[in-house]
Amino acid sequence: MKRLAALLLLISSTFFLAQAAPAPAAEPASAWELLRQIVMIPGISGQEGKVIDFIRHHLPSGLRPQGDAKNDIWFTAGEGRPHLLFVAHADELGFTVAEVTSQGTVKLKGRGGFLPQACEARPFVIHTVKGPVEGVMVPRADLYSEAAQPFAPETYELDVGAASDKEALDLGINPGDQVIFKKAIIDLAPGILATRAVDDRAGCAALLAAARDIDWSRIAGRTITFAWSVEEETGLHGARAMTSSLSPDYVFAIDTFVSSDSPLENKRFGFARLGQGAVLRAVDSSNITPRSELRKIFQLAENKGIPVQARSSRGGNDGSVFVAAGAVDIPLSWPGVYAHSFIEKIDKRDLDALSSLIKILAEEFR
Amino acid sequence: MNIKRASAFLLFLSGLTAVPLLAAEADLKAHIRTLSAIPAVTGSEDRMAVKIREMLSGRLNVETDNLGSIYARSGKGEPGLSVLAPLDEFGWFVSGVTADGYLRLDRAAAPPHALFDSFLMGHAVVISTRSGLQNGVVAQPAMHLLTRERRDELQKGISLDLVYVDVGARSEEEVKDKGIEHLDAVSFRPDLVTLANDLLSGPGLGHKAICAALAMAAEKTAAARTTPAAYFIWMAQSRFNLRGGGARVSLGATRAQMRLKPKTVLLLEILAADRGDGTPSVGKGPVVWEPQEKLSRLRAALEKMAGERGIALQHQTGGESPLLRPFLATESDALILALPVKFNQTPSEVVSLRDVQSLVELVADLGQKGGDL
Repeated sequence: MKRLAALLLLISSTFFLAQAAPAPAAEPASAWELLRQIVMIPGISGQEGKVIDFIRHHLPSGLRPQGDAKNDIWFTAGEGRPHLLFVAHADELGFTVAEVTSQGTVKLKGRGGFLPQACEARPFVIHTVKGPVEGVMVPRADLYSEAAQPFAPETYELDVGAASDKEALDLGINPGDQVIFKKAIIDLAPGILATRAVDDRAGCAALLAAARDIDWSRIAGRTITFAWSVEEETGLHGARAMTSSLSPDYVFAIDTFVSSDSPLENKRFGFARLGQGAVLRAVDSSNITPRSELRKIFQLAENKGIPVQARSSRGGNDGSVFVAAGAVDIPLSWPGVYAHSFIEKIDKRDLDALSSLIKILAEEFR
Repeated sequence: MNIKRASAFLLFLSGLTAVPLLAAEADLKAHIRTLSAIPAVTGSEDRMAVKIREMLSGRLNVETDNLGSIYARSGKGEPGLSVLAPLDEFGWFVSGVTADGYLRLDRAAAPPHALFDSFLMGHAVVISTRSGLQNGVVAQPAMHLLTRERRDELQKGISLDLVYVDVGARSEEEVKDKGIEHLDAVSFRPDLVTLANDLLSGPGLGHKAICAALAMAAEKTAAARTTPAAYFIWMAQSRFNLRGGGARVSLGATRAQMRLKPKTVLLLEILAADRGDGTPSVGKGPVVWEPQEKLSRLRAALEKMAGERGIALQHQTGGESPLLRPFLATESDALILALPVKFNQTPSEVVSLRDVQSLVELVADLGQKGGDL
């Protein structure tokens, strides 16, 4: 009987240990691993604190991060010219709580930045002081009518299941709380995923992975700054604030290349194919990169066997705010498919190429 | 040592976990959660059927017909009551693969409303293949690349002509390598959302909830000491309508009617709620739904039981039901008991756990009464 008791003790203690003391997660290192974590952190424009905390926590030791009142964060290594600034933005698209109605629904502020009908009857999460509260975007009232009007509400509204304003407030919901789409990582194939906020958490992850991979003690004769900005989606506000602290000669904005590699897009421009490597966003709505600089990068990338494509597309980038003061803006990217949707798609090969490109530019670009 | 005794004890422990979920009276929410994760598009209900059969204990006599419908019988003798629920949900199937690896979709059953397909754009989906579920996303134009004209056009809604499912493949060959074949079912990716006041939300959730409710009610009925004969049926292809004759008539329901020729029929169905037009509300009880009002024996029994249990019932008259029609054409005493569903037939259907629990209790009570209503 003693042996039976011992056997049962062993079984129960093994079970207890498995429940109570899981092995600690391995420290993420690759851009892909970092992306899978950082993309899930809520951080709409103006409320990027948790994303910034993640970045700060994962920076290599020995670097001295600085910040500003906006909550931009950066660190600088080396000295002298040229000064190279690499910047990715930490914020994502979303809403904030505007008010709680007497019926218990939650009216939202902002347009979200999405195709309106993509939000209809979809799950969102309100990040409150008491924790996340799930809700459903109220669909159009005439949904079942043959003559239904387009879903284009003046004010978006969430149903959180509350029957009154008191119930909603008791959940911890308050005006100003951030509201984001309920995220899930959709693994489409090995090394290909789709989710919300790949723009620009992929850029954040690529930059962070490069930061962890560079031997910063060997940076000499040049100044290198790695930065993570806030409020890019609402008008490049974080980067603009950084212009009062940083005066780079070159700025490499790390952000989505809005790719037309999709069955629904015209391929006339923006056609950077998924899986074909990093992208030099040579022309977009905010900047034109000099061809001579592009050639320098192609040469460096070729020497290191890093796949790179140069394309034109749409959208603005953080680097453009430094151009007027004399910097050259060279946006670096990956082919971002279905941009500003809930299913932004990315290929690991492209992210790896981007991170490698950042590293080699930080180490060798002049 | 008594290895034999230890082994026997461990066998006993393992045996405990093998007891069917419902027999162990597991939590209703857990059942709904389980079924919410299983696609059951019309014509491809096999996965759901397997899971429901797993939920039923040996106390019920269970058969599956050649369409995939499940017939679970409790008690002995002539069945007096048949309770039926759809096994299937609205969805799509793979109708083609493009040269660059995107799936094209079609539907077997007519959509529940004109904008049903429009919800696909930008949505995650699952493809039910022989070897398991595969993830996909439905292509959406990038916001930055949309012209105002195109954006306005998209806002009016889209048809399946604009639906391309991206499974991360680059060619037909890669799609094939994933095990995806023509006719594989495609449905919204399950995503259960928890709201306040015991409300749950997710795609196809109303349907999954009534499937779970019927399974629980069947088990409760079968577990009663004196159980009269009753049938509990999950109808495959219930959303597919027969051709000819003009009116929409459910194939799955017609099959069940012709097989059982039941005298007393309770149909579990979902009903759009909280539309602001006097329709029933979620959380205020199941709905007695009659296309034409009549005080039948079944309705009287149902209302009496609800009264005794303190369960609120809502009523709706009017509309049409392809599920009910085969039974109305006979002498059956047939009635719909519906689960009110907010945002019905959207990717975020909202149901009340309390309503589902009320359904379980009412159906189980009726099942235990059998034909003696």
